[in-house]
Amino acid sequence: MNKKALYLLLPGLLFLAAFMLVPITLTIASTFVQDGKLTLEGYLHFFRDGYFNRILLTTLRVSVVTTLVCMLLGYPAAYYISRASARKKSILLALSIFPLLTSPVVRSFSWMIILGKKGLINSFLVNIGLIDKPLDILYTPVAMMIGLVHLFLPLIIITLLGVMENLDHELVRAARSLGASPFAAFRKITFPLTVPGLIIGGILVFVGSLTAYTTPALLGGKERVVSTFLYQNAMTLNDWQAASVIAVIMIVITFVVVGLMNAWANRLNPKG
Amino acid sequence: MSLLSLEQVSVAYDNRLILEDFNLSLAKGQLLSLLGPSGCGKTTTLRLIAGFLNAEAGAFMFGGKDYTKVPVEKRNFGFVFQSYALFPHLSVFDNVAFGLRLRKLKEAEVKKRVTRMLEIVSLGGFEKRLPAALSGGQRQRVAIARALVIEPDLLLFDEPLSNLDANLRVNMRVEIRRIQQELGITTVYVSHDQEECFSISDQVAVMNNGKIEQLDKPSAIFKYPASEFVARFIGFGNFIAFDGRNDMGSDIELSRGALKFQAAKRPEGLGNTGLLGAIRPDDLQLFGEPGAAGIDGNTLPGTVQISTYLGRSYQYQVETELGVFTVNQEMEQPFVQGQRVTVYFPKEKLVLVQ
Ligand SMILES: Nc1ncnc2c1ncn2[C@@H]1O[C@H](COP(=O)(O)OP(=O)(O)OP(=O)(O)O)[C@@H](O)[C@H]1O
Ligand SMILES: [Mg+2]
Repeated sequence: MNKKALYLLLPGLLFLAAFMLVPITLTIASTFVQDGKLTLEGYLHFFRDGYFNRILLTTLRVSVVTTLVCMLLGYPAAYYISRASARKKSILLALSIFPLLTSPVVRSFSWMIILGKKGLINSFLVNIGLIDKPLDILYTPVAMMIGLVHLFLPLIIITLLGVMENLDHELVRAARSLGASPFAAFRKITFPLTVPGLIIGGILVFVGSLTAYTTPALLGGKERVVSTFLYQNAMTLNDWQAASVIAVIMIVITFVVVGLMNAWANRLNPKG
Repeated sequence: MSLLSLEQVSVAYDNRLILEDFNLSLAKGQLLSLLGPSGCGKTTTLRLIAGFLNAEAGAFMFGGKDYTKVPVEKRNFGFVFQSYALFPHLSVFDNVAFGLRLRKLKEAEVKKRVTRMLEIVSLGGFEKRLPAALSGGQRQRVAIARALVIEPDLLLFDEPLSNLDANLRVNMRVEIRRIQQELGITTVYVSHDQEECFSISDQVAVMNNGKIEQLDKPSAIFKYPASEFVARFIGFGNFIAFDGRNDMGSDIELSRGALKFQAAKRPEGLGNTGLLGAIRPDDLQLFGEPGAAGIDGNTLPGTVQISTYLGRSYQYQVETELGVFTVNQEMEQPFVQGQRVTVYFPKEKLVLVQ
């Protein structure tokens, strides 16, 4: 890169340094200090605490499942949209982006109406006699997952669509002419070439689910995830030290997961 | 006996017919070019043969079997795309090996065949490179190797050289012809570059608007275009609309009002009808004084309107009573603007088209 291009980066870099790097570094540093001494006590305290471990586990489970479900639902949807005719494509695209236009609060309330004890699903199941007591869906991790999938599905579809639209259909024809069935061409060409979109979309969904606040707070009831726990520590208990430790743990998890998924992406590029 | 034939085929995109009642046949081992202006349906024809497109009507016969409904992957045809369509995530070796691995060949056999094919296209040593790290000409050769290595029953090229620079184009077309003849593979080749088509083909089909205007040997098309469209397309820049013809012996006597011209008859079987005379700018001759030595008839007096220098020759626009003619002539002392000249139409070069 030449020097002139670096100047173009400068404003962005300064902004990031001032408003991200510095506060994050300060936050991280503060977690290693207690009563003026350097210590790991802040972290050890958390990992010895069964309550926190349970919250961490719930969070990871919710995020991982949300990510996988989004990938599974999003990939075929994006594939279908990318192959549709121009007119159909714009309609489908608008439909899939539509949820993004309503606030997470509104969406969570609609899910509460659907999932609650007297909600749509339970009334329906009871009425047709499939169950005699309403199921506990609302205020469980399952409700959080449903809300989060709804929240993030558009995101992964749009990400995947970008990659799939860029895929040269001539490549699929080339594979077919060389003897590949439609499925073999998909497996050997389309899929490997769109995996980067799946991974990037997956990372976005995972990080989003890990840090989401509104949806788990409203649909989770008493169930805590790390972000709601962080909020509780900072705002209700005024324990900023604990909140910082939780924040750092979240950052570390994010980096580890992004690293793992990148490695996975490279592995998923199979040879002919 | 033809290996391939399209019989009364029609193809449509969104209910718009692109090919209608299209017929084409090709003998084994031959290279046929489809030549024509942009949008005339060359790629469509090729895609139909490859199986990427379905015909609305008609049949595609290959080797005596009806291939109309045979899916692409069962046809065993090699296709070389204009954009090459190399798989960007696979190395040169894996690109070429793609078709062989689908045929479940043993890995040792795959390696042997791929290595040999890469030698043939002079790409030995490039096995591990990714397509992004190749030059245009090298990519093109990988694309050819990938299509050839499956030992296709038919090879299809869609303007494979149009992305290359002029020198490389000439080298590559010689290369394509060499490989095609060496392996004896029946080939359909699409291009809109007439020199390219003429230089490598056994047969050329000149297409216009979804129809074949003329299908013949390159030399026959070059000398004896069948229609005005073909004549214009291959460089017959001058036309005279005659109003009468009278066949006598080996010549044809033509008239336009009081003016008389003579044209040599075409060899048997090359079509000999029509009243429109066509001649190339290179074949017209200009003389400074009327009635040059040894020439009587087939001349027109005229005035030089514009003279331009083309490098090898001068090009003149000459105004006559039958309109403006373009003449290319090599000479030391060029004619000047406004000069009175005589335009001579050699009778062997004046052809009649529909
Ligand atoms: N996918 C498509 N949908 C609709 N019309 C198409 C499609 N592909 C081609 N056409 C139309 O069909 C006609 C023939 O196209 P074709 O691609 O066969 O032309 P071509 O002879 O290969 O031209 P070129 O030399 O520019 O490649 C054109 O009028 C084109 O606009
Ligand atoms: Mg074309």
